[in-house]
Amino acid sequence: MRLTLKIFRYDPNTSAGPHYDRFQVEADPNDRVLDLLEAVRGDQDDTLSFRRSCAHGVCGSDAMRINGLNALACKVLVKDLNSDTIQIEPLLGLRVEKDLIVDMEPFFAHYRSILPYLINDEPLPEDGKERLQSEAERERFDDTTKCILCAACTTSCPSFWADGQTIGPAAIVNAHRFIFDSRDRGRLKRLKILAGQAGVWRCRTAFNCTEACPRDIHITRAIAEVKQEILKHS
Amino acid sequence: MAHLKTPLQGYLGYRGREGQTAFLLHRISGIGTALFLTIHILDTALVYFYPGLYEEAIGIYRTTLFGIAELFLVFLVIYHGINGLRIAGFDLFVPQRWNIPTARGSFRLTLILTLLLWLPAAAVMLYNLLHHNFGLFGG
Ligand code: FES
Repeated sequence: MRLTLKIFRYDPNTSAGPHYDRFQVEADPNDRVLDLLEAVRGDQDDTLSFRRSCAHGVCGSDAMRINGLNALACKVLVKDLNSDTIQIEPLLGLRVEKDLIVDMEPFFAHYRSILPYLINDEPLPEDGKERLQSEAERERFDDTTKCILCAACTTSCPSFWADGQTIGPAAIVNAHRFIFDSRDRGRLKRLKILAGQAGVWRCRTAFNCTEACPRDIHITRAIAEVKQEILKHS
Repeated sequence: MAHLKTPLQGYLGYRGREGQTAFLLHRISGIGTALFLTIHILDTALVYFYPGLYEEAIGIYRTTLFGIAELFLVFLVIYHGINGLRIAGFDLFVPQRWNIPTARGSFRLTLILTLLLWLPAAAVMLYNLLHHNFGLFGG
């Protein structure tokens, strides 16, 4: 099948401002959008810029807006889009560096702000080096361990669009992963950060994050659980 | 103004599902209600400060345009209330039930409930409008 790709272009080194370029490509219904981008870059325009690495939905580097919806280009099949024209744009709310590449630093700054690492200064258990955990305790935060930091959720969040200061769903998901980890002792610190102005109360339950997550994490639920945890400790 | 561009682009261009619609309607209904309340407080204050103008203000409310706007206003107020209860209910009592099917379904239910509560009120208001402004039903 023949498809038209309408791709957002921006190059800060040329005088042409942000605009869209159209490319005709021959595609198989089972092709992924990433395959089409590679085809354009390989055969038609080698200046087209986008991030990719694993091509299998693991690294999280190719999140973008495909037909108006955040997704990983390597996970979206052409046949699931049901259209002859595919519009591809960079994530919304982060500064565009070139074409489909955005500056991810503000996103990672929010991620770092919630202390995304195990905090526990207590001495190790005497009988070994591991802090043991029951299956149920591990299960408690299993869902939020799946995040690959692609930013599809945070850049689909209306509160983040309104104000890049909002900590955003991805950072809250990663905080949830430690807040509900029985081995961790940093819970109160993180709850304090998330109770702040830019934290969980900015969630308007618009559900764009949960709908966009390529790992099917129950994001809005995780945020609501953190809200409850804050209420319990206040 | 530059910082308005991204949210507007998102509100209008992002293909969100029921949740985004619920959010946008909640925003619009919230702003609409707040605006109406402001006007309402101001015109009621006229009774005290300029009683003569108060009559004129009430006259404006009786115009057809305002009558139609009030019909929508009632819809927005009811929606804002029910949707607020929906979100608070999930967040406060059953956060573990927030998932895509419950979010989509509960929004549709919210719309149905809003319509059911709105229709009788709308019928009465429409009757009054047609009665007083268009002389129908023996008006
Ligand atoms: S390229 Fe790694 S997630 Fe898509």
